[in-house]
Amino acid sequence: MFYRLSGVHHANYVSDSRIFKVPADRNLAIFIFLFGLAAPFLLPSLYLNSYMLPWLIWTAAALGLNLVTGWAGQLHLGYAAVMAVGAYSAIHAARFGVPWEFALIIGGLASSVIGSLFAFAALRVKGLYLALTTLAMQFVMDWVLTHSPAISGGSHASLQSPTLALLGQDITSDTGYYYVAFGWCVLVTIFMLNLKRTGLGRALVAVREKDFAAAILGVNSFYYKILAFAASSFIAGVSGALLVATFFFLAAPEQFSVAVSIQVLAMVIVGGLGSIIGSYLGVALILLVPGLVNGIVAGGSQSLGMQINVETLAHIPNAVYGALIVIILLIEPLGLGKLYGNIRDYLMVWPFDQLRK
Amino acid sequence: MKKLNKTLAAFSMIGGLVAGSQTLAEPFKVGVCYDLSKAYTFATPQVSQAAMDLAKLVNMKGGIGGEPVEVIVRDHGNEPQRGIECYSKLSREGVFVFDTLSTPVSLAVLPRAMADGRVLMQSLVGRGDAVDGTVFDWVYPIGPTYWGQAANDVAYIKQLHDGDMSDVKVGFVYFDYPFGQEPIEILQTLSEKEGFELDLYPVPLPGSDQAGVWSKVRRDKPDHLIVWMLGGAHVVASKEMQRNRISMEKYISVNWLNEVDIANIGKEAAIGLKRGTNVVGGPDVALRQEIMTEIYEKGQGSGPLEKTEDVFYNTGLAMYSIVFEAARKAVELEGLPITATSYKAGLETLKDYDANGLMAPITVTPDDHGGGGKTRIEMWDGEAWVPQTDWIAEYTDVVWDVVRESSSKYEQ
Repeated sequence: MFYRLSGVHHANYVSDSRIFKVPADRNLAIFIFLFGLAAPFLLPSLYLNSYMLPWLIWTAAALGLNLVTGWAGQLHLGYAAVMAVGAYSAIHAARFGVPWEFALIIGGLASSVIGSLFAFAALRVKGLYLALTTLAMQFVMDWVLTHSPAISGGSHASLQSPTLALLGQDITSDTGYYYVAFGWCVLVTIFMLNLKRTGLGRALVAVREKDFAAAILGVNSFYYKILAFAASSFIAGVSGALLVATFFFLAAPEQFSVAVSIQVLAMVIVGGLGSIIGSYLGVALILLVPGLVNGIVAGGSQSLGMQINVETLAHIPNAVYGALIVIILLIEPLGLGKLYGNIRDYLMVWPFDQLRK
Repeated sequence: MKKLNKTLAAFSMIGGLVAGSQTLAEPFKVGVCYDLSKAYTFATPQVSQAAMDLAKLVNMKGGIGGEPVEVIVRDHGNEPQRGIECYSKLSREGVFVFDTLSTPVSLAVLPRAMADGRVLMQSLVGRGDAVDGTVFDWVYPIGPTYWGQAANDVAYIKQLHDGDMSDVKVGFVYFDYPFGQEPIEILQTLSEKEGFELDLYPVPLPGSDQAGVWSKVRRDKPDHLIVWMLGGAHVVASKEMQRNRISMEKYISVNWLNEVDIANIGKEAAIGLKRGTNVVGGPDVALRQEIMTEIYEKGQGSGPLEKTEDVFYNTGLAMYSIVFEAARKAVELEGLPITATSYKAGLETLKDYDANGLMAPITVTPDDHGGGGKTRIEMWDGEAWVPQTDWIAEYTDVVWDVVRESSSKYEQ
């Protein structure tokens, strides 16, 4: 009734390998894309640069982690460290005079190299052991950053980013920053959408499900694990560099600490492993909801004239936000992306599914 | 379609919130974006309570130039992006004075404040080289930098040894990350200059295991210990010191040591412990007494009474006395309404201001945004803090060398 098809059925190979199996999904994606393009004209600049921009960059980053965790099934707790490698290399390159286009690629490649080291750990250990190994890598990176002024810059290990310039154009306006973030997020999203229907994507899924079974089928799990780590690290590196270039304007170790790694992993898990729309929703929940709930609670208590201690006021949103995560994962352990899928699948056959009952 | 409606509803709700928040009146507003829920909670509740109490007091006395003052306290959970969100939101509502009391957030907000021309107060946190007003136009880290504070500690030790430090051994115990590492350079310079021996003792975060550090200290037998740690780590250190029979009198802490830590160490056990500070500790300061009679005795306090007995409450009073005094100066200079530029001018006319004996006198100039960086050493005698020195700022040339070397890198 709401959709023009009553379930997803494939009659031929072409239809099976479509990006969007449901036309309404494609329309939704087009609508979101157009909204994203028009956002600078629709939203006040506060929402553009304090919510939309970090949301898009973190989504790109979360999609990168989703590639390695959701698709290839390798638990990764050192993702922020990989982002830091990209951010610091790109900024150092840009400060050295390399044009930003190449600086970003250098950042991505540097991340790829360091990130692939994680893959060697992944070849030896699995599951929780891999999680701990990657966590150790995160601490190593933290230590390197705080102990080498040559990398991390001067006072309090902070490194100023030069003005972003792409294609000979200095980017200094809120709108400009937003479009850079938007462009990158769209690129990553398109890559991830297509990944599903390529041999690479299927190989990654095979490795995720059982790596030695994949090996029996002729999928070289060594090769694909390294590829997954390298590709996801490249995305992480460029995202980290863009995060600093368009949002923080200055890189500091705290921006890429272990807490951030866990946050990105939470974004992916709450959003849904292997789900693209889930990554968008997960990032929104983890990154933006605390601030929004904070504002709502503060505004609410003010308008109701309640005298609440500032400390209590700060902890209520945290409790609400924590409860929200628990509730969402209880309702749907596969995350927000699956929740969206459930709603869509329900509406697709409604009201005919009612007849059976 | 359902998704679309939901999105539209969400955005129209957001739009409503924005429209609602822009119709406020015109008080002098201070954006207090603090970490009230994560890493800095050992100090932020007291400081923000002091800010709100002081604002009440100022308003009771008729405000500034007849206008009320308002402190807007928001939590950012020590996350840089939420700090930026807080800053962006409030600065669009017309706030031009901000304080973050968090190093990561202060670092993240700084480039924006510099570009937007908003005053960023960052007493006791953030990058120390921001005292260089020639580079950091809009940043005011009023109070001591960690470099200045460490130099003053050395000056105190020099006093104890009658000016001759040639056979003195100083140990530096520090958290092994930027906060603790910052004074190392200056201590090394001073060690060469004064001829004392410097031993470094890095403590891995979060400072709950210090056994190895203190047994090494016992072997090395330094005469004095300068300690750059926070909160609970002081308590762990005191236990390890007792275990290793190291006298508490050797311990000279950074300003981040309060009455809660003393209570956890034990009032008796802490006798002899020293700390550097830029505010007078204890509940007897004139401003706090006034707040007690005017606000708390009438039951209008902004928080629990016991928090006002903490040294960080006094720190908060000091920080916000400066904020409001600068606003007063701004009104004297250029009248109402206060703007970011007139406020900046107001700050830079502060001369020997000590908030009625509450803190080290500060003199802010266009070049020195730190206000002189004076501190003193206090000793815990079992009941109260006893000052061991006057307000001092020593080795300023050495400190400023480090400041300029570091700040020059920002411009590149």
